[in-house]
Amino acid sequence: MPNKNTITIEPLARVEGHGGIKVEIKDNKISNVEVRILEGPRLFEELVVGKTPQEDLSIVPRICAICNLSHKYAALRGLEKAVGVQVDPTTRLYRELMHHGEMIESHSLHIYFLALPDFLGYDNAVAMADKYRDTVTKALQLKKFGNKVMRMMGGRMIHGENPILGGFGKLPSKETLENIRAEAYELLDFAVATIDLLGGLEIPDHMERETQFLCCRPPGEDYGYYGDFLITSDGQEYPAENYKNVIKERVVSHSFAKRGQYNDRPFTVGALARILLIGERLTGKARQAYDKLVTDRWHRNPLFNNHAQAIEQVYSLEGIIDVVNQLLVSEDAVIAPPTQETGIGTGAVEAPRGTLIHHYEVKDGKIAAADIITPTAMFLDDIEAFIRTGGEQLLAREQRDNIELQFEMIARAYDPCISCSAHLVEVIYK
Amino acid sequence: MTAESKPKIGIYGFTGCAGDQLLIIHTEDEILNLFGATNVQSFVMASSNPIEDDLDVAFVEGSVSTEEEREHLLEIRKRAKILVAIGNCAVNGGPQAMYTGDGGYEKRLRKVYGEGVKFITKPLEAKPLDAFVDVDYYLPGCPISQPQTFALISRLIHGATPEPYPHPVCHECKLNENRCLLLDEKFCIGPLTLGGCGAVCPSHGLPCVGCWGPNEDGNFSQHLKLLESFGMSRDEIIRRIRGFGGSKIIRFIEDGGK
Repeated sequence: MPNKNTITIEPLARVEGHGGIKVEIKDNKISNVEVRILEGPRLFEELVVGKTPQEDLSIVPRICAICNLSHKYAALRGLEKAVGVQVDPTTRLYRELMHHGEMIESHSLHIYFLALPDFLGYDNAVAMADKYRDTVTKALQLKKFGNKVMRMMGGRMIHGENPILGGFGKLPSKETLENIRAEAYELLDFAVATIDLLGGLEIPDHMERETQFLCCRPPGEDYGYYGDFLITSDGQEYPAENYKNVIKERVVSHSFAKRGQYNDRPFTVGALARILLIGERLTGKARQAYDKLVTDRWHRNPLFNNHAQAIEQVYSLEGIIDVVNQLLVSEDAVIAPPTQETGIGTGAVEAPRGTLIHHYEVKDGKIAAADIITPTAMFLDDIEAFIRTGGEQLLAREQRDNIELQFEMIARAYDPCISCSAHLVEVIYK
Repeated sequence: MTAESKPKIGIYGFTGCAGDQLLIIHTEDEILNLFGATNVQSFVMASSNPIEDDLDVAFVEGSVSTEEEREHLLEIRKRAKILVAIGNCAVNGGPQAMYTGDGGYEKRLRKVYGEGVKFITKPLEAKPLDAFVDVDYYLPGCPISQPQTFALISRLIHGATPEPYPHPVCHECKLNENRCLLLDEKFCIGPLTLGGCGAVCPSHGLPCVGCWGPNEDGNFSQHLKLLESFGMSRDEIIRRIRGFGGSKIIRFIEDGGK
């Protein structure tokens, strides 16, 4: 193998959006790592200024197709605080249902179609179908189910307009809910079998290093995907509206990108962070999966994010069953109206790939300022740090063969959403 | 059919949400058939190791928002017999093009990124593909619809001519027998917006926001008057209409808004 000094992986395949990785090697040491974001700027935070909350709710989910409902949800939570909307408990349950659908859609896409081909030695999941037809077929079913729940609550699979300020345009019938619940039961076996499939994979250890974790703390005692507080692996807890003091945006001179750090160091968000921070709250089959899979290595190895997503697939299927059971005996949801025209609100949710924050200032019914911090923005630094450690280890072990694939697998494990992070277009100081 | 004799296709994504490529990936029933019936040379979102060679059909999602994307688009055009713009961002420029041409782009860019920075590739004000190359077919949508997408793909790979679909959302809404939201003075732009979505929002009791972009036959001047009669200012109406109409809707507003 020739002694290349620069490894450039572009385009970075099987991720959402247009990006690449550049690694520079000097004297057999890693001298520079850049995760390159090549998606063009869209300037959403500026575009929504002067618009009504409802217009914002149509526009901002267009940041990202895979997690469009997480963007909708975060925007709803921020805007509803700003204009004094108090949704009823039934609406909250429907929103949880919608969010479970997106988790299943996004996690199943990532685990089986974007990540698994690497572990099994294929270019894509379709090529896997000959040998792993049953897994691919069932994975498609699971993904289809996630999409179905998203379509049911969102109005369509991608960019549905059905979730609105204070509630939903249209709600599913009792029969539809019962069918969804039955389908969730049916798919649980496959989601549980996936725990064993992933549990049997050999996970490389070259990149292992200590990092930090952050996620929303769900209200109450249960596991969940939203909260008004951010919690971190050093045991701290912060109100979500203080996010700017927690997640510090950093500028680097060689390859400028606004990137999040916590305590001046990189951190991880996403399924892995959630499982490590709040996984003890899991119950049922998800808890069994947690007890079976989680080891001390998870704290140091981002590839276990794939496994953490697999646990959340089980959790979300069980969550759908639980939420439908509650909905079937709930009072009807009523659309809650705004009670004020001026205010400030921060909405935090867990998108499939990590904590997502939408912050709004509304004045006289129009948006005066918007700030959106996406999970990919938060973990880009962490990806680079793991690639650096992995690269140094691989060079020290003289394992330069398929080093590119090892780097790509680290980046893909985070399930990055480059469209989401596009306001971090990489720039270089003159 | 051998891989050599199958039509060679490439699916590319520029600036946008990747929702149109995602929609193709999410066609659980058809994705295996697509890979079986065609030779998918490049589809980076779904597969590693793309082959960048001559193509029978290139499908391109997203707006052109950087110099690198502009050059890449020109390069794809050179080696593709047929080029299809897929999704609102490729067809109209998308939401990121809602203020294209207003002279405020540099200011917005500086506000988001700060002063005195040089980008890795020059950012461009978002424009649709046909601002730079000839586009053979337009598949509108935000995102594109599955039935239209696979009807188009199967016609193109069999050498047949796709049929245009010139109907507005309003037409599909009538077919769904919905009560017209304009009767309740709701801000609905279904009459101005290209259909194909099945009038999904009005069917949920919600007004059309125009996300598929303008329908050329829309009566813009009359609809603006109707919306004004609901007590909304012209500025407010135009701001809302431009949300998804990209740079192309300006022409219709100017022609019809006098």
